[in-house]
Amino acid sequence: MMQRIWALTAYFTKSVFFSLTGLILLILSLAYWVLFFPPGQGTPDFENYVIVIGAMGAATTFLLALSLSARASRLENYPLLVRLPSRVEYLVAVMLGSLILGVGLQLLVAGLALIRGPDMTAGHVLMIPPLWLSVDILAAVLAAHASDLVTSGWSRVIIFSLLAVLLILQGMSASPDSWLVSRLYDLSDVLLNFDMIRLSDGAAALGSWIGGNTMGALSQAAGVVFWPFKAMSDAVFAGGFSPSQALAPAVLLLYSAILFLIGATLFAGKDLDFIE
Amino acid sequence: MIEFKHVTKNYYSLTALRDVSLVIPQGEVLGLLGPNGAGKTTLIKLIAGIINPTSGEVAPANGQTTWPTIGYKPERLVFPGHLTVSQYLQMVATLCNIGRAQMDTVVLESLARVNLLPAANKQIKSLSKGMRQRLGLAQALIGDPDLLLLDEPSSGLDPEGQEEIQTYIEELRAVGKTILMSTHQLPEVTRVCTYLVILKDGEVLYQNRMAEALTLQPHIAIQVDRPLDAARPLLAMVHPDIAIEGQEVVLRNESIAMRRQILSVLINQGYDIVRVEQRRVTLAELYAEAVQ
Repeated sequence: MMQRIWALTAYFTKSVFFSLTGLILLILSLAYWVLFFPPGQGTPDFENYVIVIGAMGAATTFLLALSLSARASRLENYPLLVRLPSRVEYLVAVMLGSLILGVGLQLLVAGLALIRGPDMTAGHVLMIPPLWLSVDILAAVLAAHASDLVTSGWSRVIIFSLLAVLLILQGMSASPDSWLVSRLYDLSDVLLNFDMIRLSDGAAALGSWIGGNTMGALSQAAGVVFWPFKAMSDAVFAGGFSPSQALAPAVLLLYSAILFLIGATLFAGKDLDFIE
Repeated sequence: MIEFKHVTKNYYSLTALRDVSLVIPQGEVLGLLGPNGAGKTTLIKLIAGIINPTSGEVAPANGQTTWPTIGYKPERLVFPGHLTVSQYLQMVATLCNIGRAQMDTVVLESLARVNLLPAANKQIKSLSKGMRQRLGLAQALIGDPDLLLLDEPSSGLDPEGQEEIQTYIEELRAVGKTILMSTHQLPEVTRVCTYLVILKDGEVLYQNRMAEALTLQPHIAIQVDRPLDAARPLLAMVHPDIAIEGQEVVLRNESIAMRRQILSVLINQGYDIVRVEQRRVTLAELYAEAVQ
């Protein structure tokens, strides 16, 4: 099985790396480095540098996974796909290819710090990509869900809508009774002036519900979902992981595993319609 | 080897296959015939596992539990153009679990089989349509799969190339390989196939062994020297359902006495009998009858 997966990984990786997409991503990575660390800028903090590289790696891996998924959805791959005992091997190869290229570009930009960037050794440079590996894996799996290769029916709409709702809820946790609640109370007053008593009551009830404890609890729950990201950035700034923060990458890997299982199930059961 | 049990396949509102039940027998070369849009490629994709049936089941036949290994040559000859022919075949060989030690031999053998050795180091994007057709066949053969799915295997080849491919399929048939091929070329089916399936509008119109299909419906044709319009009323009196086609009277299941009677009517009416011939149905006739 591993022999087949590696053969496909090498095939997908080469097809992107030696293509215009690969060149554009390489140029974008270098542009990213030049923009964030322009000549004449003072030496940035090591911690900020690590955070910036982490964000860049996740974004690049997401784009690479989208690109590899698109290439894997080409008509030329039918004869290869039918040789596999399981379609999951095919999906694993796409994920591995994205990660290899994503981590490679991350390592390249991290290594450029040796030319211009914070004061750091080659050992520090090599440490950066593994730190963000779990985030990169999550980015690759999310990209797979966004791609035509994996999506089935409304699956990508559902997954990304759920993600958006969680993000909005988590954002509300910071100000549960501020702007939105005030606007709802204003709307209630306006509706009352037009004698729309039921609608006015509804808007007021919604405002009080959002401002109340229920909404607070929901937003706190949503905040828990995003805790690993906060824990990892806190750990970077603290210079090391506390015992509880050390769980954060594992939790992200758990998210990735769940999303991958959903993706693999969708991909294994769908009708493939590869295009030329 | 594989059995279709009441398989229907819909693409949104279009029904590509409708309640198809058939068995792909082991060791046979099954020819899939039908007009464009009949559902041939859909049927092949269902076996290849590329798509799933909307209803019904595609399963291993005769109580087997394992799905056969498959080599698939698609109709559209699209391959990764940036690879060379041998690099591509090496990758296919790796997917078939062929070890490094045997890889070169396997690749060279498959290239030699389809007469593509001179192009081994050429990039695929530089190959002609005929060479791509051969490459499609070469990759399908790698790993000696249990079932070969060939979607129009000789389309785009010159007559010499078609001859080579047909000869090769005959060789595979001789060693008991199971092959399912779709084609529009009736002589090719007559030559290489041992089993025939005719599809139209997603339905199986006809399925039988080739030998039986072509020996069915033997008939006798009596050809005379001029059109039979004048004799038609008299012949109809002897045999109300008699088949008259131009200058021919076609007799199928009539008794010998009836045949004698018809011959005497023709002679009495002054017709010269040009030829009396026993015929068997041709594939073209069988196909035309089925799809019309």
